[in-house]
Order: sequence, then C-alpha cells, then structure tokens
Amino acid sequence: MNSIGRAGIALAAFAAPCVAMAAWTKAYVVEWNEPAIYYGAKAGVIDPGTDCPQGTNPEIDWVKVLMEAGYTREEAEWLRNPANPTRSPVHGQNQMAFRGKARANVYVNPTSTPDPGLVGVSGTLAEGLDLDGNAKTGFTSPDGEKGIDNNFYKTVGCWKTYRGPRRLSSGALQFNDSMRNGAWTTLIVVAGQGDDPMNDKDVNVGFYLSDDKMVKDGNGNIAPDYTFSIKPHARYEAIFPARIKNGVITSTKAVSGVLREPAYWRDLELERAQIKLTMKADGSLSGYVGGYRPWEHVYKGWVNARGPVIEALTWVQLPGVYYALRRNADYSPSGAKGEKTHISYALRVDALPAFVMSPDASQQVAAVASYKSLAPAETGRVSGLFPQVVDGIFIDPKAKQQAGPNAVITPPENIAKAKE
Amino acid sequence: MKLRCDRRSVLKGMLGGSAVYVGLPMLDVFLNTNGTAFANGAPLPVRFGTYFWGLGLTDTPAGGTRWVPTKVGPGYDLMPELEALAAVKEKVSVFSGFRAIGDGRANLVHWTGHASILSGVAPATATRFDAASFDTKVADAIGTSTRFKSIDIDASVSRQPVSYSTRTGATFASPDSTPLALYTRLFGPDFQDPNSDDWKPNPAIMLRQSVLSAVTEQRRELMKGLGRDDQLKMDQYFSSVRDMENQLAVQLQKPEKREACVLPQAPKDPARISSVDVVNSNTKVMAKLLAMGLACNQSRVFTFVHTSGASETYLPGQSKIYHQITHDEPTDARLGYQPETSKLANEVMKGLGTFLAELDAIKEGEGTLLDNAIVLAFSDTGYAKIHAIENIPMFLAGRAGGRHKAGQHIAGKGAPVTRVSLTAMQLAGAPVGEFGVGSMKTSNPIGEVIA
Repeated sequence: MNSIGRAGIALAAFAAPCVAMAAWTKAYVVEWNEPAIYYGAKAGVIDPGTDCPQGTNPEIDWVKVLMEAGYTREEAEWLRNPANPTRSPVHGQNQMAFRGKARANVYVNPTSTPDPGLVGVSGTLAEGLDLDGNAKTGFTSPDGEKGIDNNFYKTVGCWKTYRGPRRLSSGALQFNDSMRNGAWTTLIVVAGQGDDPMNDKDVNVGFYLSDDKMVKDGNGNIAPDYTFSIKPHARYEAIFPARIKNGVITSTKAVSGVLREPAYWRDLELERAQIKLTMKADGSLSGYVGGYRPWEHVYKGWVNARGPVIEALTWVQLPGVYYALRRNADYSPSGAKGEKTHISYALRVDALPAFVMSPDASQQVAAVASYKSLAPAETGRVSGLFPQVVDGIFIDPKAKQQAGPNAVITPPENIAKAKE
Repeated sequence: MKLRCDRRSVLKGMLGGSAVYVGLPMLDVFLNTNGTAFANGAPLPVRFGTYFWGLGLTDTPAGGTRWVPTKVGPGYDLMPELEALAAVKEKVSVFSGFRAIGDGRANLVHWTGHASILSGVAPATATRFDAASFDTKVADAIGTSTRFKSIDIDASVSRQPVSYSTRTGATFASPDSTPLALYTRLFGPDFQDPNSDDWKPNPAIMLRQSVLSAVTEQRRELMKGLGRDDQLKMDQYFSSVRDMENQLAVQLQKPEKREACVLPQAPKDPARISSVDVVNSNTKVMAKLLAMGLACNQSRVFTFVHTSGASETYLPGQSKIYHQITHDEPTDARLGYQPETSKLANEVMKGLGTFLAELDAIKEGEGTLLDNAIVLAFSDTGYAKIHAIENIPMFLAGRAGGRHKAGQHIAGKGAPVTRVSLTAMQLAGAPVGEFGVGSMKTSNPIGEVIA
C-alpha cells in the first residue's frame, strides 16, 4: 500500500468510528425542544385548568416572606424598593438569599427554612414515556396510554415558567430562542438494517451535537435540509437501540445518555432513557426522549441562574422547589431501596430533516455510532450562567455593600421620611 | 483685492501672538427668500441623532402586537403603544419585522440587538461592540463644523451613565447624564451666543488652541523621523488631537446667527431615582436643551439614551421594575398581551413622543428643527420576555431636510436591522454605501423612505 492509501485510511478512521454501514439512514436537526408539560387549560398561562385547578403558583409577596424570615417591615420594604442601591435591576436583591435560620443562605442551604411549598400538578394526564414498564404507576397520556412516568412534570407543571400551551411556555420560548439563534445545535440520526424505514426491527437512533448553526428562513422559522457536521463531545451523546412500527420509533432497551437541555442546567443526564419518536409524512420527526435525571442538578441550575432573579421573575421560592423535587423523586440508580436521587422526566422534541456529516465533513453519516472517542477531553467547564455567581447570588466586587447574614439594612433618611 | 462675502467668509489675523479667524456677521442676505436654505442654495443643515430605549415594545409569541401597524406604507394606523407619537406621526416612519442576525453567535441579552443596529455585527461579548457605532461615522461626515462633533446624553438616571456610542467598540462615550451637566456643556462658560452683537474670540480657547498648535509642530517634527507604519500609528494617535483643534477653531469663528437660538435657563437636576416619571421629566428637560443646542449650531449629531437595555425604570410606588415585569408577567389570555408591560411601554414611549415634540417645537425657516433632522429611535429587543432579537422596534423621525419620505410603515419580513441603520446614515448625508458584517452586511437601504 502506498503512502497515499495509508493516509486515506487514517483520515477515514478519524472521520467516523468503525461500524457497519446501515441499510438506510435518516437525519434531522432539532428545531424545538422543551420539557413535556401537559397543559390542561384552555388558554393563558396562569389560568386554572385540569392540570392545575388553582392555576399556576401565585405571585409571591416578598415583603411578607422576608418578614417571616425575621426582617422588619421597614427592612423588607427597603430591600424590595427599586431605589435601593443594593437591588440590582439585572441581578436582583442579593439579600433575598439570606432568609434561612440565623439568616443562612437558603439557596445553598434550602433546608435552613421550612418548606414554603410549591403547588404541583393534580391532574391525571401527562406526556412522556412509561419508564418503569408498570402501567399501574404514573399518569395517563392524552391518547390513553397508561403508566406515563413524569414526576418532573408533576413537580413543576404549575410553575408558570414551565406551564403553557405547546411551544408557548416562557421557559421554552426563552431557551429555544437561544438555541435557534445559535447557542447550540442537536442532531438526530436514525439508521436501520431493514428495507423499510417505516417498519424496521433493528434501528439505532443517535443524538449528537454540532457546531454548525441552524439557518432561519425569512419568517424566522428554522429551514430544513441544511447540512451539519457532528461535533464529537465527551458528554453530550446518546444512542438508543429501537424499532420502528408504522413510522413510530420506540426504544427496545433503556440506556444512559446525556443531551444538551434547553435550560439553565445544560446537562440532561438520563438513566434508563428511552425514546418515542414519530416520523411524519412531511419528513419531520416529533416525540419524546425520557428517563430519570438527577433532581438536584435541576435545582442547582435555577440557583446558579441567580436565585433572587429567578424567584422574583418566576414566582417560586427556590427552597420550595428543592423540597418538591426531593419529595417527588422516584428513582435510585442503586436499586429500589436506595436514595431517590433521580426524577422521571421527558423532553418533547421537534426535528426537521437535515443532512448530517461526519465530524470532518468528508462524508454523510451512514450509521449510528459513538463519536466520544474522537472528542477532546473536557476542560474548564462553566458550571453556571455567570462565573460571578457564588452561592446563587451575583457578586459585584465593586459594590459598596455586600449581602450577607450580618448586612446592615437601613433605608436612607429621606426614604424613611417620605414614607412618614 | 475684493473681499469674498458669504456665510463662510472670515477675517484672518493675529491676536496675542495667535492666529484668529473672525467670521462676518450672519446677515439676512445669506438666506434665500423662503428661509428654507442659504442664499446660494445650500440646504439648512441636517442634524442626526440616535434615541435608545430599553425593553422594546409589547409583542406576543402568538403573533399579537401592541405596536406593529396593520397597514403597510403611508398612512399607517396608530397602534396603542405608538399613540405618544400621534402629534408627529407624519414625520415618523415605523420599521417592523427587522432582526439582528448573529451568524451563529449567541444572543447576548440586552446587548446583541442594539449592538447589531449600531455596529452592524452581533458582538462576541456583552461588554463591547465588535465595531464602531455608526453615529461616529455620521459625526465624522457632518459634525466637523460645529463646536461639538457629537453630544452624548443619558436621561435614564441609571446607576452608571449609559452610552452606546463608541469609536473603538471597547470604550463608550461619557454622556451628560444630568440636565445641569448638559446645560453646562452646551451653554456654560465656553458657549458663544451666535446672535450676540459683541462677539469676541474667547482668550481661553485661543490659549488652548495655541497649546495644541505647539503640539502640532512637535508632531510634525516627530513624524519626519518615523517609518511608515509608525507614522500611521502616530497619525491614529493624534487624530483626536486634530479633532480638538478643529473644534476649537470653530469656536474662534464668529458663529452664524441663528434665529431659533435662545439661551435657556439653567435647569435644576431631578431626584436621582429612575422611576419612569422622573426619566420622562429628565428626557423633556434634556430634549429641550439639546434642541436649543442644535438650533444654536453647537452640534449636528447626538446620541440620546432614555433607558438602558436592561432598563432600570419602574412605575412610581411599585416594587417591581419594568425589566422584571416584562419577564414575569404572563400574557393575559383574554387580552392577548402583557397588560402591565404594555402600560409601561406606553409610559416609555411618552418619553420618545416628548423628545420629538421638543425638536418639533423649534421653528427653523419655514419648518421645524425636526424637519431638518433625522433621528433613529430603536430598542434592544423585540419580545422582551424572551429577549427576542427579531422584530426590534425601530423608527426614523424627522424629514431630514426633505430627504425622508416620512409617515410610512415598512415591514421588514426578517430583513437585517442594518438596512434601517444604513438608511439612517444616508438620510443624514453620510457618504456610506455599505454597512454591516456577514448576514447583516447590506448595501441596500430602504428606498421607499428615501426621496
């Protein structure tokens, strides 16, 4: 073999892992993804519905909350006053963190305060997957399937950030807008060994990242049929063995995998993960990816997004979120008797047809395989949205006064007089 | 030798060892019979400015809107959040459906939108622009014959002064952020009343210019011994010095008389709180000062910030700020929009209405100062709840001396915001044929609004 031939083999080895070519492949780019939140009202976000008979969790009276935590009314009102220089219009009022016992930081010590409550879903319908194979546990799907396991929905489904009609909840809008504007791209490759892509017993479905950005058409919609190269990633990858019946792809085996999530906590780390995806006549793909995820990471994601901001904007007390997630956790990787560190979850996915290339863009992918071995080692992960966030609050080192258990909270004399 | 006698005529001489240029008094004969232009046909100067407010206007993801007119073209319908512009509607064009395009760069919230409009490129980081803001290009083109190349104003009463005008992308202009500071800049000790009959060159300015002149000589000597690359570097370094020399030279010329110029009273600064009533009051006072500064030919270019991107303003007496409300207020199922957000947007738009009314209140020739101005008013977001950078509200106000076919609604249908920016530059008279980078690069201004 000459040197050119050897070089060609070496290049091919980098381009794609050594796996057997599939009989057929279909490839997609995820144009929308959001937590599978069944919406039980007719319209609006806060309005009552079968999911949340009292509507969403109501707006919180923060003056009252602070007073219950031991602050005087004058202190509480000054902390919430927009004229207070310690209340940042962007990063919120850091002193809000210190309302635990002995003014502990409730974001990092949520149990330092009694459970303030988070009203969860009381309806019986939910979207998602039967993760435990037990039709007697869980919700019923809108089309009548029993055993839908989605305790994440049960916990947060009446939180107004998550609640809303399909593709219209504020959280989904925020993070998908970010994704669609280039923050990340998720690809799906479906490959089968049979001769009918709509009915195939031996299928693999791969979820990968790409550095190539989606393209919008003139109406702001994601354009189909663009080309993307897989970016090998040490963490974000999931491969599902599956079958297809009448265009519906379902898992044949539960797996572990990590997807890039549309949320402040970017890692959707799934155990016993499954898929149910439908190949539609228009060429698109829609459905669910579900599994059990570490519930504490969800909580940390919200805390690191700046607790005071999240609490004020989304009408929850974060300790209430902590207690509710812990209460509804329903899976232990160590067995039925182990600590319930995980909670059942489903991601709703809409994807458009696309061309997916090998990492070096030399060829279209012809199989589903792991590219993790080609990924560079991860270095210097950013744990949260802002590097300046410490214990859930944004630290401005130039601030004249820092929040804390011993912070002096005194409104200026002119404010006090104006109130009189 | 016969002395030339027109509005540019100057008497050149020496005073105290320094050269001085003394302009002739501005006579009526310099203007045409209609007062619409100078006698030689040169048009009255067009002023250019930007006006920025934070948090966009009220939109909904389901397609509802409180500001986008339903009718495209002339005679657009005045949507609820445009009502504050009713008095000047025929002088304002509305641009909807334009978007910032990141070309793969993430949407940096409360930054990417206006950075794209001003610099033509979605920035890489949320503390700087990747190119100069285009108001500086306009200032270079039309702002060299006035005392100030540009006036930068911040009415927001924010905790830190806010300006989005930058020549480098890294450092931003230091705006006048109180009415008194603006008054002092415009009409303080160095102000020369163009209508004064006993005008004399200011000795202090002459002294400052003579010092700079000495620097100029040193610079010339220094440049002789440098290589080409170093000469270029030195030339860049001294460009700001030359700007100052030019501005001082302007002040040593007898200014043209300005009928509309009336020296205003020094204002009192308002309380340093950023409730929307205070900000709007600040806007009115500072707009009035700015308008008179423009009428008195102190500058032809300005940048004005009403509220910052992540606006700090709020309704007086409320504990929630506008920024928070845009995010936390649910869309009312019955109304189809966020009612409190819309209420605050209306208040914020009153600021723009007041601002434009002040420019329109200055009579200039047969029209008003606003008729001889073009103001690009814009925000940082479309649907503020999610920091959308699509459908960012943009307006062009003023007739630009007749160049702007005002009073139209232009639907951008996803076109880049830079098309509006380029249009603004061209209406202001800046010789710019292309603007923007990547997908936002355009040489295609919006022809429908250009006469």
